[in-house]
Amino acid sequence: MEIFVAQLLNGLSLGSIYVLLVLGFNLMLVVAKIIQFAYPHLVVLSMYVCWGMLKYTNNMFLVVLASIVSCVIVNVAIEPIFRALSKKHGLDINVSFVVSISIALLITDVMSHALNYGFPIAFPTDWVGKSVLNFGLITFSVGQAYALIGGIAAVALFFYLLYRTRQGRVFRALSENSVLASIIGIPVVKTRILSYAIAGLLGGVTAVLFARLLGSASPSLGDFVAMKVVAVSILAGLGNLKGGLVCGLLLGIAESLAMGYLPGSWSNAIAFMMILIIMLIKPEGLFGIQI
Amino acid sequence: MKKNVLRVEGISVSYGPIQALDDVSIEVDEGEIVSLVGANGAGKTSLLRAIMGLQKVHTGRIVFMGNDITNTSTDKVAGSGIGLIPEGHLVFSTMTVLENLQVGGYHYPQEVSSSLESVFESFPVLYKRRNQIAGTLSGGEQQMLSIGRTLMSKPKLLMADEPSLGLAPKVISEIFNILRDLNEKGYPILLAEQNAKKALEFGDHAYVMETGRVLFQGPAKELMGNPKVRHAYLGGNV
Ligand SMILES: Nc1ncnc2c1ncn2[C@@H]1O[C@H](COP(=O)(O)OP(=O)(O)OP(=O)(O)O)[C@@H](O)[C@H]1O
Ligand SMILES: [Mg+2]
Repeated sequence: MEIFVAQLLNGLSLGSIYVLLVLGFNLMLVVAKIIQFAYPHLVVLSMYVCWGMLKYTNNMFLVVLASIVSCVIVNVAIEPIFRALSKKHGLDINVSFVVSISIALLITDVMSHALNYGFPIAFPTDWVGKSVLNFGLITFSVGQAYALIGGIAAVALFFYLLYRTRQGRVFRALSENSVLASIIGIPVVKTRILSYAIAGLLGGVTAVLFARLLGSASPSLGDFVAMKVVAVSILAGLGNLKGGLVCGLLLGIAESLAMGYLPGSWSNAIAFMMILIIMLIKPEGLFGIQI
Repeated sequence: MKKNVLRVEGISVSYGPIQALDDVSIEVDEGEIVSLVGANGAGKTSLLRAIMGLQKVHTGRIVFMGNDITNTSTDKVAGSGIGLIPEGHLVFSTMTVLENLQVGGYHYPQEVSSSLESVFESFPVLYKRRNQIAGTLSGGEQQMLSIGRTLMSKPKLLMADEPSLGLAPKVISEIFNILRDLNEKGYPILLAEQNAKKALEFGDHAYVMETGRVLFQGPAKELMGNPKVRHAYLGGNV
């Protein structure tokens, strides 16, 4: 029982990171109609930015700010590539998928050649922190608490933005019908760029939380996570934001439980096996495609 | 002299090799209802799309309230005051009625609540259904929402593309009454309509189009009396 509760808490923290990544990924998918495979790579890149900043300052505010700014800038800087592609090929999400894989490889290469000589980076131990909870086998680290609480706050804000604000309505209108959106006066290109910026902002926050949860990062982390983000998004139903929320959490929990009860190295195989089976039964995803 | 609102001067539009409009000119003046009449494929929708910046114009120009808006991006055309009520009672079907109206006021965020009030006053049924998902409205209600959403953008010209398409006869006359009321409130209207009889009865001025050209034009009453028009479009030879 104690192991179960411990792994459940682990899973919720990890799951909230997946949820944040899937939300940013899905936002660009529904608004800009692209598959941004490299989005998790950008988040990992921002973890490197955090790590770099931490060498100069311990000011949490500055570190978070640097992470957000870098993620927004890089994500928005990539947008013209996708816009140019859509001019040539129309809005073809397959083309964006292939191109973003190349961008992801590029980012991974930069990290493994130019940053920290390609070695994994480690965050200060007080970032992950000591346990805040300690009951027998159950431990809950400060980093996990950050990931979970920060994750809940960020997800709540994201859904508030999307469903309760003027800009959120504009995003949803554009995602449903871009021609009709332009007819009623919504600037399509500007709004799409804004979705990259919001996803970047979310990514910057995620990078900090992820760093606190893991305590380390490596060049290959981007690929590793991106695979799961795409899988969760497809499993939930591409572009389905609420589905992404549920499935992201489920993946985090499933992975942690597998890690607690099964030989650790099998957890990925199990996760992807489950995805394979679900996709065979429900090709449109558990919650339905929404793009 | 009535002031000119919209002037289309000799435009041509093509989809690849298919020429949809060939040297088409029309005008809409203040307070006027102008009807575009023509059978399937005559080019009515293409004309409205070209005005709206949804279709590239190869030659000619489009002047709205004294400004050249030829090949301007659609959102800017909308922002400058042209409100298109598109074909097929289009709404944002996953959003609520209220949200549809709110996004319609994109260019006037400060005035959304006052515009909402006046739209709800004209369309009590939209108020009653304000929290309903727009996709679950009836066709007629969706058309009213489409009109209401367009009004939220404070247009200086309303363009309606076959507003009666796919609706029951009773609903059609309701929609036409609404458009008539809006015109009486001062909105100039450019209406594309396949049903020639309806369009000529409704309009002050009319253009009869065929395969991308304007064949006849003039005051709607005169065109209704024109034997050629009667023969080809009103199904009579009297
Ligand atoms: N997207 C398109 N691609 C190719 N050809 C098109 C396209 N849209 C319209 N056309 C062609 O342009 C011509 C004019 O079509 P348009 O839709 O403007 O006519 P319309 O008068 O609105 O007809 P309807 O009353 O059926 O709506 C037709 O020959 C049509 O086949
Ligand atoms: Mg048409």
